[in-house]
Amino acid sequence: MTTETSVVGKSLPLLDAYEKVTGRLKYAGDLPPMHHMHHAKVLRSPYAHAKVVHIDTSAAEALPGVSAVITHKDDITGKKKTCGSPWHDFSFNFRGPMISPEVCYVGDEVAVVSAVDEEIAKEAIKLIEVEYEELPAVFDMEEAMKEDAPQVHPWGPNSLPPSLFEWGDIGKGFDEADHIIENRISLGNQQHAPLDRNACIAHWEGGSVSLWTSTQALFWIRDAVTDFFELSPSKVRVYSTPTGGSFGLWWGNNFMLLTIAIARKARRPVRLVLTRDEVQTTVKRREKPLIDAKIGITKDGKMVSQSYRHLMDNGAYGNKFDPYQSVADIYTTEHGRVEFIGVATNLLPAGCMRGVGDLTLAYAIEQTVDMAAERVNMDPVEFHLKNHWKTGDICHTSQEVVFAKLLFNKNPTVELTSSGLAECITRGAETIDWKNKWKGWGTPSGVDGYKIRGVGMGISTHISGLAFFGFNGITVKVNPDGTMALTTGIGRMGQAGDTTQAMVCAEVMGVELEDISVVDGDSEVCGHTMVTFGSNGMHMVARATKAAAEHAKEQVLEYAAKHLEANPADLDIRNRRVFVKGSEERGVTLKELMSTPIFEYLAAPEVIGSASKGVEFDKAGKMMMADFAEVEIDTRTAQMKLIKFVAVHDSGTIVNPAVCENQVAGGYYQSMGFSTTEHLVFDDETGAILNPNFMDYKLMGPLDMPDPEIMFEEVYDEHGPFGAKGIGEGVTCAVPIAISNAVYNAIGVRLDPPITPDKILQALKSKS
Amino acid sequence: MNAINLKINNEHYDVLVKPHWSLAYVIREKVGLTGTKTGCEMGTCGSCTLLLDGKPVFSCLRMAIDAQGCDIRTIEGVEEENNGELHPLQEAFIQDHGMQCGFCTPGMIIAAKHLLEHNPDPTELEVREAIGGHLCRCGTYIRIVRSILNAAEAMRNAQARQ
Repeated sequence: MTTETSVVGKSLPLLDAYEKVTGRLKYAGDLPPMHHMHHAKVLRSPYAHAKVVHIDTSAAEALPGVSAVITHKDDITGKKKTCGSPWHDFSFNFRGPMISPEVCYVGDEVAVVSAVDEEIAKEAIKLIEVEYEELPAVFDMEEAMKEDAPQVHPWGPNSLPPSLFEWGDIGKGFDEADHIIENRISLGNQQHAPLDRNACIAHWEGGSVSLWTSTQALFWIRDAVTDFFELSPSKVRVYSTPTGGSFGLWWGNNFMLLTIAIARKARRPVRLVLTRDEVQTTVKRREKPLIDAKIGITKDGKMVSQSYRHLMDNGAYGNKFDPYQSVADIYTTEHGRVEFIGVATNLLPAGCMRGVGDLTLAYAIEQTVDMAAERVNMDPVEFHLKNHWKTGDICHTSQEVVFAKLLFNKNPTVELTSSGLAECITRGAETIDWKNKWKGWGTPSGVDGYKIRGVGMGISTHISGLAFFGFNGITVKVNPDGTMALTTGIGRMGQAGDTTQAMVCAEVMGVELEDISVVDGDSEVCGHTMVTFGSNGMHMVARATKAAAEHAKEQVLEYAAKHLEANPADLDIRNRRVFVKGSEERGVTLKELMSTPIFEYLAAPEVIGSASKGVEFDKAGKMMMADFAEVEIDTRTAQMKLIKFVAVHDSGTIVNPAVCENQVAGGYYQSMGFSTTEHLVFDDETGAILNPNFMDYKLMGPLDMPDPEIMFEEVYDEHGPFGAKGIGEGVTCAVPIAISNAVYNAIGVRLDPPITPDKILQALKSKS
Repeated sequence: MNAINLKINNEHYDVLVKPHWSLAYVIREKVGLTGTKTGCEMGTCGSCTLLLDGKPVFSCLRMAIDAQGCDIRTIEGVEEENNGELHPLQEAFIQDHGMQCGFCTPGMIIAAKHLLEHNPDPTELEVREAIGGHLCRCGTYIRIVRSILNAAEAMRNAQARQ
């Protein structure tokens, strides 16, 4: 089923484009100073693991201009886990005290100072005397899991029992297989690296606190602050400004809690803006995986069993128990087993980043699948088409199954709503000319002197939100001139959440996008909208947006019925005008309707549509993608050059093609970084990050990579609003797979990201 | 503290600065013009680009105290120069989606404006070179380049009509 649309499907400009091109848009670091506002700076640990045995802040406190100093002695302790969910809080890296007497990674917080300006705050930081007692530290996941390993932090073991998903009979599954392929994968440390720097302002008035910050997680932060400081939600108001890029980084973080705490002690508004170095080394990074994969196939290339053990280096305070929801359901097999173990190390905390779960596990699965196809000598395209996930298949590894078990002790099944994988694979293969370019595994598609070329492919899936992200509360208010205000808690982080939600509203209301203004970013005004993450905006939040608009429309039609002396069921709205279906000349413009008194009330109508909707989880909408790459390796310099890249995505109906193209391009550039140059380097001795800046941590620039060819297979999803699924995160997932396989086919050696010239050089040497 | 006067977008600002304060810092924190963004503070991202005596510079690498007497133009002054209307570059960035989060946008527009003032008909490579020192972490390069090329065309067409 498809619907005819007039707004949905158009590349309409962003609602906040004017503010962006004129420099008027305020990110948190741009907010004007408040009266009496002070500035905070943080003293951070130079050790990966140490006890603070003595700390003297008297000289800092005595410095003129300093308003407050906080240390572990202030004992600000979060008594509760946040957000009322059994989900351990990975964004705040839950850990008890806000500042601990035991520091657990290089960059961990030791003290915070607030002062009249940043210079004095910096000076005061230097005056704090700290005596540390160094403790043994551990930086390697497998080392950290050993019984005699140093304990990373005092709040529990380095790793908890695994989160386990099992279906069928895995032993039987491997017994039945003709071939078993095993593989071990380790990948690099990626940093979110938005250009903007995290910032916030906190201000207490009486027992109430307000926090201004750039975030994708308005209500998550509201709830976390509420719990951490043991306040009523009515005493916490969070204002979220747009983020200058986020990719999973701009959630709640300890730096916000520190600012709130010091603002209370200093009795004035306090602002904290992190430096680039701090953004890179103290907020978060992508979890580093270590994956053991095992796949069983029959001799005719049918996958029958799959088993994965996924270790995630979560760093010092990363969550120990997050089975990451979207664990790359790519292939349906009768038998399966997946085990997730989060491991603590004395490194920068790690957490979700764009494509979380899938980017890493899909990579491991797909590398193993490529090896499996090689074993039975079946073209990878054919192997993928034979085995991939299809509409109606069961999502065995959905995190929702885990939640149902934890909260209700039930074992429900979750079914896939739609799959355009076959279409994506077929179209991508045609576009890259797979038939002619692919010559077999480890076989170049072409050799030109010193230059050899190879092609590779990879597929992935990704969630379009998850039910337990929570209810979404949306309102649509119609103004007297027929324009309307959409109130939503969706975050603005470059994904055009405000614009695309407004497009859904405009579509329902029969008006233009420019008629909608979006009110967002205020926890007191907006209805609850859970963190904008997991690509939930278009598939899940938009269901509430659509329902709220439909509720407003219903009221409009009722008033119009009185106005037109017609039956509401006979009316519809198009081009800002209510009309009688079948006799369109009978109608009234929204403007006239909303500004003209109705006889029964002697007043013009007031319309507010609202909806608060959760999402039933028995059907899961996931986006699908197939990426194809052609690379060229210069065997003299070991440089890799990308020749062509094709990305084909099924995100259901594409609500705004320009926005979606930008998302896919963004995922491509970020994952090309992950595949080649982006890798946080930790010092083996100290655990400190050696490349905390854009000079040494190389992001893709405008001259670095060719433009990808981007295509959409719009497979209508019956459960998504207007047939739409999510897009924002999955765009990163299949890129590294295609690159690695292309490199393998060019040089005959399998390399894992980051694929750097030194790795290629070694591989070339090993071959010769 | 040193008292200096900065001429920004044809307006004069008296500010007290320390010798080590960057121009970007002073423009944002002391003058309050926050359209100039600071992402890396070490000349590697391009977000803080402004025109100093007509040339694009990374203002995080310039000392405010040295900028006295210079003609400084920031993103806030672009409409002003264009009779209060959006510049064709700004129009093109809006229409062609030359942005996602928008953080790199002011720097990109300033760099592109300088390019088009000196080269009204650039090739795609020349456009990419002009923004070569600018990062867009959202990876919007395809549409940023398209916006600049389309703006160039619109400006040439407008010129031809005059």
